[in-house]
Amino acid sequence: MFSNQTLKQLAAQIYRSPLQASLAILGVALPGICFASNESGGLVHGIMPERHFELLEDNCLNCHDAFEEKGGVNLEDLSFKMDTLEAAELWQKVLNVVNAGEMPPEDEPQLEGEDKTEFLADLSNQLVIARDALSDSGGVITMRRLNRREYENTIESLLGVQVDASDLPDDANPGGFDTNGSALYFSSDQFEQYLKIADRALDLALATKRKPETKKERIEAEKLQLRRVQQSVANITRDYLAEQYPEGKSASDLDFVLMGKALETNQNYRWLNYEAYLENPNIKNGAVLYNFFNDFSLEGIELPADSVARKYVIRARVALLDEGVPEHRRYIEYGSAPSGVKRGEMSVYGIHKVKGTMDEPEIIELEFIPGNSGERSLRIRERAINSLNAAKRFFRDSDEATGEGPPPAIWVDWVEWEGPLVDRAPIEANEKLFIPRSNGQTEEQYHRAVLESFAERAFRTKSPAPSYIDRLMALYRGEVKEGVDPMDALKEQLAIVLASPGFLYLNEPVHGEEQRELSAGELAVRLSYFLWSSPPDDELKRLAYSGRLTKSKVLETKVKRMLRDPKADEFVSGFTHQWLHMERLDFFQFNYQKYPRFDDSIKEAAREEVYATIRNLIDEDLPLSELLKSDHVVVNNLLAGYYGIDGVEGEHFRRVPVPEGLPRGGLLGMTAVMAMGSDGERSSPVERGAWVLRKLLNDSPPPAPANVPQLGRFEGEHLSARILGKAHQEEPQCAQCHRKIDPIGYGLENFDAVGLWRDEETLRYPFQEFTDREKADDKDWRKKIPPRITAAIDPSGTLPDGTPFRDFYELRDRISEKEADFARGFTEHLIEYALGRPFGFVDYNLADSILERAEKEDYAMSSFILGVVQSDRFSLKH
Amino acid sequence: MPISRRSFLRSSSALVALPALESVGFAKLASAVSVTTAPKRMVFLSMGWGVTKESWFPKLDQVGRGYDLPKNLAPLARYKDDITILQNLQHKYSTEAHWGSTFWLTGANRYGVPGQSFHNSISADQVAAEQFGRDTRFTSVQLNGKGANGHGPGSSLAWSRQGKPVAGLDTPVALYHKLFSDDTTPLEQRQAMLKKRRSVLDSVLEDAKSTQKGLNATDRDKVDEYFQSIRDIEIRLSKEEQWLDVPKRLPQDPVKEPLASLQGYEEVKVMYDLMAAAMQVDATRVFTYRMPTDTLIQSLGATITSHNMSHYAQGERRQISEKRDETHAELIAYFIDKLKASKEADGSSLYDNISIAFGSNINSIHYLTNCPTLITGGGAGVKHGRHLVMDDRKTPLCNLWLSLLKGSGVDVKSHGDSTGTIDELFV
Repeated sequence: MFSNQTLKQLAAQIYRSPLQASLAILGVALPGICFASNESGGLVHGIMPERHFELLEDNCLNCHDAFEEKGGVNLEDLSFKMDTLEAAELWQKVLNVVNAGEMPPEDEPQLEGEDKTEFLADLSNQLVIARDALSDSGGVITMRRLNRREYENTIESLLGVQVDASDLPDDANPGGFDTNGSALYFSSDQFEQYLKIADRALDLALATKRKPETKKERIEAEKLQLRRVQQSVANITRDYLAEQYPEGKSASDLDFVLMGKALETNQNYRWLNYEAYLENPNIKNGAVLYNFFNDFSLEGIELPADSVARKYVIRARVALLDEGVPEHRRYIEYGSAPSGVKRGEMSVYGIHKVKGTMDEPEIIELEFIPGNSGERSLRIRERAINSLNAAKRFFRDSDEATGEGPPPAIWVDWVEWEGPLVDRAPIEANEKLFIPRSNGQTEEQYHRAVLESFAERAFRTKSPAPSYIDRLMALYRGEVKEGVDPMDALKEQLAIVLASPGFLYLNEPVHGEEQRELSAGELAVRLSYFLWSSPPDDELKRLAYSGRLTKSKVLETKVKRMLRDPKADEFVSGFTHQWLHMERLDFFQFNYQKYPRFDDSIKEAAREEVYATIRNLIDEDLPLSELLKSDHVVVNNLLAGYYGIDGVEGEHFRRVPVPEGLPRGGLLGMTAVMAMGSDGERSSPVERGAWVLRKLLNDSPPPAPANVPQLGRFEGEHLSARILGKAHQEEPQCAQCHRKIDPIGYGLENFDAVGLWRDEETLRYPFQEFTDREKADDKDWRKKIPPRITAAIDPSGTLPDGTPFRDFYELRDRISEKEADFARGFTEHLIEYALGRPFGFVDYNLADSILERAEKEDYAMSSFILGVVQSDRFSLKH
Repeated sequence: MPISRRSFLRSSSALVALPALESVGFAKLASAVSVTTAPKRMVFLSMGWGVTKESWFPKLDQVGRGYDLPKNLAPLARYKDDITILQNLQHKYSTEAHWGSTFWLTGANRYGVPGQSFHNSISADQVAAEQFGRDTRFTSVQLNGKGANGHGPGSSLAWSRQGKPVAGLDTPVALYHKLFSDDTTPLEQRQAMLKKRRSVLDSVLEDAKSTQKGLNATDRDKVDEYFQSIRDIEIRLSKEEQWLDVPKRLPQDPVKEPLASLQGYEEVKVMYDLMAAAMQVDATRVFTYRMPTDTLIQSLGATITSHNMSHYAQGERRQISEKRDETHAELIAYFIDKLKASKEADGSSLYDNISIAFGSNINSIHYLTNCPTLITGGGAGVKHGRHLVMDDRKTPLCNLWLSLLKGSGVDVKSHGDSTGTIDELFV
């Protein structure tokens, strides 16, 4: 009963027949009906329900009909069916002006109340459908260029070395996946980058043909520290002298008293801290990690110049200085500060909890591959918030308490590096590259054979044309003639292979057919880029060429084995990150004063928890619904400490039961998910509510409209999120979506911006009332601190379908009952990721059949993945 | 040859010496620069997140010359007669509240091509470059500051005729070397290198041709992108070849190699220095700069990211947002200083022949109407010193781009979603 009529036709019809009768026959498209199949079986477009005709007629058509066409806008000829870009654009315009309050003009009757709300709700929902339909690829899978992740992995699998491809575009596809071929563009700058990266990778790979010589160096920590302290004291003293004695005073005049004075007057580096340091007996035979320099770090652990991209092991002998060291200060972090990292900050590569004591120190060991030369200068520090200001503040606060800065917590005896470790991968890659040389082959003939076999592997399913190899060999000969070493000339040609279309694109020619079955080789490629984001390994290739991969049972066994392979982590993180919009975790900087426990290590662990949980569901083939509610979490020691779960030792993630009374288990109990629903300062019920609708309930609200006025009237007041949000309900253009979104967000308000549980919301933090300067100027500022303002949290509300909940636990229970909706959303995204194109109309049947199977198998993770892989579509090029 | 010795002066941190313009190498170049009127130039500066709404825009009831310069633009007071602020310009297709630059110079409709979730079209600077870039060593130069969130997808402000992103240089030091460092390898070797790079392109094209076999239409389009990018490189190589034996000219006032560590405020300042220097030697006539956002405000003392800042309310966020606006104004004034002080052969200044546009697709916070727009420079014939408020609140920003292009003598009929030029700019 959907109409394809314009307003004009509709008006004619209405005026011909009695109004009631015609309204009765008009269909009403419900929001969220997305792509429901119509009678003809074709693509369904966004359709504005015709019941809004009256509203348009009363409020718009007086000026915007074909006759008046005020402002050049004629709505009379506008189709209710948004099946062309033009129609969708015009409807979008209508939405924009009504949302922004620009139309109807001030002196005309205004749209009001429920009519307006309904109109806007339908319009924005139908526009989403229209956008989807208009960008529907009709099932066509566009040839895909390797995205950046896949490119890195593919190079690694060919050459056995990791490359830094950060100069390439990251291929993030707004609103979609980086596997979508039609969104992966190619530009001339990229071509040159590909050549450059391939060149570096080959340099590295060919240099590790043989087993490298492993070296080892141990550095006594006291030496590293003393050097730094001396340097620092010298700098401070120099500055002091320059200030106090502008006429000049030579360094030889420096006496201990002056040095002491210099340190005493220094704002950041207090003398007492140095004094305490000098008096600490443990500095004789090791380094005590002090906060001298607004960090606790021990610098100057230098790996050799050729260590880049090679694997090293870093060891350190460490101990806690005291049994009373608080839990959160028992960790050491290691990392480096390559250029671009701000002063006082560090790129953290690893974290370890120290358990050794001064009587019995422990030796910790971490593996590390420097990605560039800036990373090979390592540091070790006590775990810290990665911010110079935070460190200064930490220093000042504790200095006021103790008079000598924060008491040290960790002692380091020595640091040692050993490497490069024997890495089989590049050696094996070399063995494959340099195929056995046949008798009587000249060097050139041999190099041609090497090039050919490499190109054959690099191109996956397509053989390189002889004319192509001829051209490369012509280049090779030219080089050799110029006096270039033949091996270097060969290397150049190998690099060109890695910038050629045969390598860069996943090639599935149709040879004039509309669609066709993939060959076994092509299927293996699609499968391995789906599950590994990497090319097929030898075993998968063998299976494909034996012709058995297409057998359902064999495929199933193989897929299960592939999922167990560590390479499947690429699928887990690649898919999950994009599916759950986890880029939001890095969108904002978190206020360390409000949330001192949420440092970089916790943030990384929180991110990893999401991946590790999904990995765990796959490994144990558990139901997808565990993500909605679970009596287990997958955490490491850091996160367990954060959540208040005892007895979890070690930095690896593992499945543990949730202790009684903790609100964890499932996505909604995860710190990462809650932090994504904040702006680093406050929790955002709107972001959280919208995320739950999109990701868990598969009921996406339309995108937030641009140009809606910010709710400024509460500025400067200390109000709870719930009261602030009430403003959303006042304006019809806001209410239409926010009445669905916000209540879910309120149900999650017991989690603060960094996912910790709270019973009340802090509206004013006392420290916010004074700037550092004001504190410095006014000694009595502490006495003037205003009280903290808090508000009780009311987590009760209703889901969009009217289901009530009283608190977070009930909200989670109600959501977990909607397993089928969640499974559908997951399936649609999985299809999109796997097939490399937006989920479209043609995929509804596929989604239905996967879901049917999944339901029978209790929504086990494997049922979804196998459902996709074993579908007809997966083995079809269209 | 003295000129080749000079080119050896390219030492890393040394001051580079003045060029002897009458030297052998320059004679070849003379034909390109010996035009009687100085060349027109265009510079586009995009700030990412929008401005502080309350204190950046002049009052709407003060139009024309007699307007009060808003607080955040105060550092531009000495050039009030040389700038124009426009209001009520926008892109009608904009829907992305975090994309300050993606469509800023293009006005494209993201969903403009059925079956695709992202589409863009040529940017105004590239339209200008097609004409202005013929006679200079570099057709155009794109700068793309690091720490630049709030700009949206893209590799710089520039998008090619095919609507594909054009890469930019991300540090002043990279720009410095591109503009002023001569390759010290002997000419024959460089010619040989060029020949080799051509052969490399020929080989990959060989593979591209065989890859294309048997593909359906959409897939062929994808390989066409590859072909197109190889063609672009070929064009670039031909140009490089033309200029191969012409040493790079050095500006009158020596320019020092910038420190690699420059960030934020210092980065922008040095980029302006280098742009002015590049114009002095006519290395290029078209610049775009996607300016740093995070590193800029952090160099001004902020501890938050620019996205946090953009959701401003009273307090630190608002203060920093205002400080950022003032800093941009201060830096533009500094840039104008430089351009005015630099004379062309015909006695005019660089300023007289340039058009500079500063702004963002984002108005403020996450609004997309009334894009903040400030223009300066005498190149397009704009009568400056005014606050112009368009009568139509939805005047296409592309009308301004079209006006500036046409005013600068670019032969173009329309741009993006333009509906015409803004004639009041010129009267």
